[in-house]
Amino acid sequence: MTPFYILQTDVPEVIDRIPGAYDHFILPYCAGIIFCLCWLGVGLVRVIANLSSSDRKALLLSFVNPVLIWKNLKDIFCDCLLHTKIWKRKPLLGFMHSAIAFGWFLLIVLGHLEVWLFAPRHLYLDNGSLFYPIFYRYFIWMNPGHTTLRGSLFFFLMDLCLLYVLAGIGLAIFKRFRSRLLGMKHTTKPSLMDRVALYSLWGIFPFRLLAESFTADLAGGSFLTLPANALLRFLFGDNLHFMPWWWAYSIVLGLFFVSLPFSRYMHILTEPLLILLRNAGIKVRHPRKGYAEAEIYACSSCGLCLDACPMNVQKKNLRFSSVYFIRFLRRHNEKKVNRIADKCLQCGKCLALCPVGVDSPAIRRRQRAAYNDRLAFDYSALKAPVPGGVSGAPVAGGGTPAPAGGKVMYFAGCMSHLTPRIIKAVLEVFRKAGEDFVFADENGGLCCGRPLLLAGKDRAAKTVIEANRKMIMESGCTTLVLSCPICLKVFKEEYKLQGIEVLHYTEYMDRLVAEGRLTLRKGEGSFVYHDPCELGRGCGIYDAPRRLVEGVGQLCKAEKEGDESVCCGGSLGSLTLSYDDRKRITAGALDNLLVNHPDRIVTACPLCLKTFSDASSDVPVVDIAELVAESTARV
Amino acid sequence: MAKNIIIIGGGPAGMEASARLDALGYTVFLVEKEKALGGHLARWDRLFPEGKPAGPVLDSLVGNLGNTKVLLESDVLSLNRLGDSFRISLSSGVSVIADAVLLTTGFDLFEASKKEEYGYGIYDHVVTNADVEEFFRTGGDPRIDNPQRIGLVHCVGSRDEKAGCRNCSKVCCATAVKQACELKAKFPAATVYCFYMDLRMFGRGYEDLYLKAQKEYGIRFIRGRVSEVSERIDKTLQIKAEDTLSSTPLRVTLDLLVLMAGMRPSREGTKVAKMIHLATGDDGFLSSLDGFGGMQATSIPGLFVAGAATGPKTLPDTIAEARAAASLIHEYLQKS
Repeated sequence: MTPFYILQTDVPEVIDRIPGAYDHFILPYCAGIIFCLCWLGVGLVRVIANLSSSDRKALLLSFVNPVLIWKNLKDIFCDCLLHTKIWKRKPLLGFMHSAIAFGWFLLIVLGHLEVWLFAPRHLYLDNGSLFYPIFYRYFIWMNPGHTTLRGSLFFFLMDLCLLYVLAGIGLAIFKRFRSRLLGMKHTTKPSLMDRVALYSLWGIFPFRLLAESFTADLAGGSFLTLPANALLRFLFGDNLHFMPWWWAYSIVLGLFFVSLPFSRYMHILTEPLLILLRNAGIKVRHPRKGYAEAEIYACSSCGLCLDACPMNVQKKNLRFSSVYFIRFLRRHNEKKVNRIADKCLQCGKCLALCPVGVDSPAIRRRQRAAYNDRLAFDYSALKAPVPGGVSGAPVAGGGTPAPAGGKVMYFAGCMSHLTPRIIKAVLEVFRKAGEDFVFADENGGLCCGRPLLLAGKDRAAKTVIEANRKMIMESGCTTLVLSCPICLKVFKEEYKLQGIEVLHYTEYMDRLVAEGRLTLRKGEGSFVYHDPCELGRGCGIYDAPRRLVEGVGQLCKAEKEGDESVCCGGSLGSLTLSYDDRKRITAGALDNLLVNHPDRIVTACPLCLKTFSDASSDVPVVDIAELVAESTARV
Repeated sequence: MAKNIIIIGGGPAGMEASARLDALGYTVFLVEKEKALGGHLARWDRLFPEGKPAGPVLDSLVGNLGNTKVLLESDVLSLNRLGDSFRISLSSGVSVIADAVLLTTGFDLFEASKKEEYGYGIYDHVVTNADVEEFFRTGGDPRIDNPQRIGLVHCVGSRDEKAGCRNCSKVCCATAVKQACELKAKFPAATVYCFYMDLRMFGRGYEDLYLKAQKEYGIRFIRGRVSEVSERIDKTLQIKAEDTLSSTPLRVTLDLLVLMAGMRPSREGTKVAKMIHLATGDDGFLSSLDGFGGMQATSIPGLFVAGAATGPKTLPDTIAEARAAASLIHEYLQKS
């Protein structure tokens, strides 16, 4: 009987089976990995070289910042290996990704650990470190009767990991044919190189199982490889047919690494780079170079954005989805890229659902800016008031001086001026709460700049932002309340209003209720709340509006809500989408809201309000401000 | 034996066609959903271009009906074909089998509250063209309270893709100029502005009306759309617009804003068309066979159309189409 553990250490556990630790079959793999590493090296240099010098500095600094180091490690582990983002939304799909990524990662780590423990000299380059740990089981012979518990543990772990990966591969093959069962309605069309890489990826682990099974009686194995070895011996009579399988394993690995840079699987290697750049605070500046290049190659082409995009209520619009935008960018197809960039509604749902976090709306804005930012604009009126016309600079509160003390400024914005019922309701709530406030753009104000930024007109936006900022900073207010989420986003992100708190009126009213300055009367009605894109995904405000709605009635759920909420179709983000297409999107969004038969639809954005009001014939649409105004008594 | 004809819609087109077909000896059933005949004409005070009162025009249309069987307060419940004839049943319980059907379902006025930026239904002193006619007809509207500054906005719900209305409504330009003059005559001290995109004064006497409005009434025409309206504490209205001829933004304070609501396909007409499987165009109006010789015919034999049901029309256009339809129906019934 084999002793369970042997104390003698002079007898080697592992003996080199192949003298010189080399065989020709490793060549395809070596050629593949060397090619791939060279390509990656050049790509990395390109990305870094195309960053601006300040971005490069930020990247370097992030490597010495302990908080960011921890965040980098955590993000890379969770996003690249465990794929927690996919797990949260679609568990089966998450399992598939983590099985392949984390399982493979473990196989590589454990494989190297095994070599380090049992044949450490092969971890040096001149002793085959490039291929030896990969084909370890081919090169060694287990000394019978001298297997330690340590060795058996590795055999077991390696088999376990291999099974884990094989389960993932099995699901992946299944998904290719039946994507719906894994929760995906649409899936992308793979390109030729995608197919080569995909089929090699499918082949790698089954071939590895076969190859290692054939040599399991020589090199050791566990619950998976040993029974397989017995079965193969039974089928073939002996176990000496292993060469073709090791060749096959090496060839598919080589093929995979050669096709990798030209396929969607490039995301496996690019995603960690993207995480490092993103955590360093780098933003996209050019639609194709630097940070964008990292994003483009980090796109896994998974197609989750196909189901996310609100335009895809019509199948003909699938081609405008982010995944194809990124694909055409990668191929430098300028004509298609421009067309797709202009079509997007900028609702941000593809970004919210993207497992890699590719900010394709931002890349589209950069692409728009490449042309639109060069267009001429004339804001000379901002400097000199037009005689007899609208005075240039906005006047705070119609000339009334800002009151001293708790100074609150209300800025309605253009869209609220087009939906006067919102302004009326907000002012009523202000009065009922006894708030001392100034109405910044009562007699007309300037655009907040966000629509210009969405169109890629950065310089024009900067001009109006400066003018508005000056007006606000000079007013001496400490709180700025906005009724339009489109304004809110740009005020928060671009205005740099030091010392001034910027709030959406839902947050502000929610605070008034919490402070006891407003009392809501709860009625009978049931409401569904529509998350406006710019408020929810744009500014992360989901709870305050819901608390207000729950204060006045019963809140029912939409089919998709929160960060999966569907754009109303009225978005200012699209430059070219036709009204017919928008109508379809609006109809789809209404269906999504009405699944639980609410009495009224509530929203918190003037544009959503306007769009839904025009399209909803049966169910009335109201703004939260109206709802609060009608169910509030003065305290 | 006298043949039966059903005419759906008791406005000017329906009444005129009824009168003609009745005179030719047919049994005509005129179906109207309201309590009285007349359609929009019954709610109008004066007609462009000369400002002729609408009352006598309506009275003569009603007076010519002869033996026409008028079915008031009747909604169409169903309309379908039975071989070569048609069967209609009405909410009043009546059902009729007829040899020909004429749709004169007219138009609906654009709901001005849909252009929320103009504040109709939200601000106190915003009215529509129909409200102004009502004001002149009945003499009272608390919203029109001795205004000194009046603005008329053309093309509200016309030529506006965002509002889902691409078509020009044809009659609003002349109506706006007419109402501007009438308001000026009523409130002589007032300043009256017309905000227009293009002035389409195409008919006989329309250009004269336009010149008179400028020379005699001093109406101020500003080429540019109103972008938004807000109400001040004293209930006056502040409007923002652009004078596109001088490329300057404008801010004007007004006491009264009149919105020239455009013509939309009538809801009833769309409903009836669906019942009988008559196609509607992209603009929502009913489709006639073609825009030239087949204007009053449809793809369905025995089914005819006249008036604003097939697109915006002036009153003379509508009456002419009703007569054309009557003669076409006569021809059709003689052959069958």
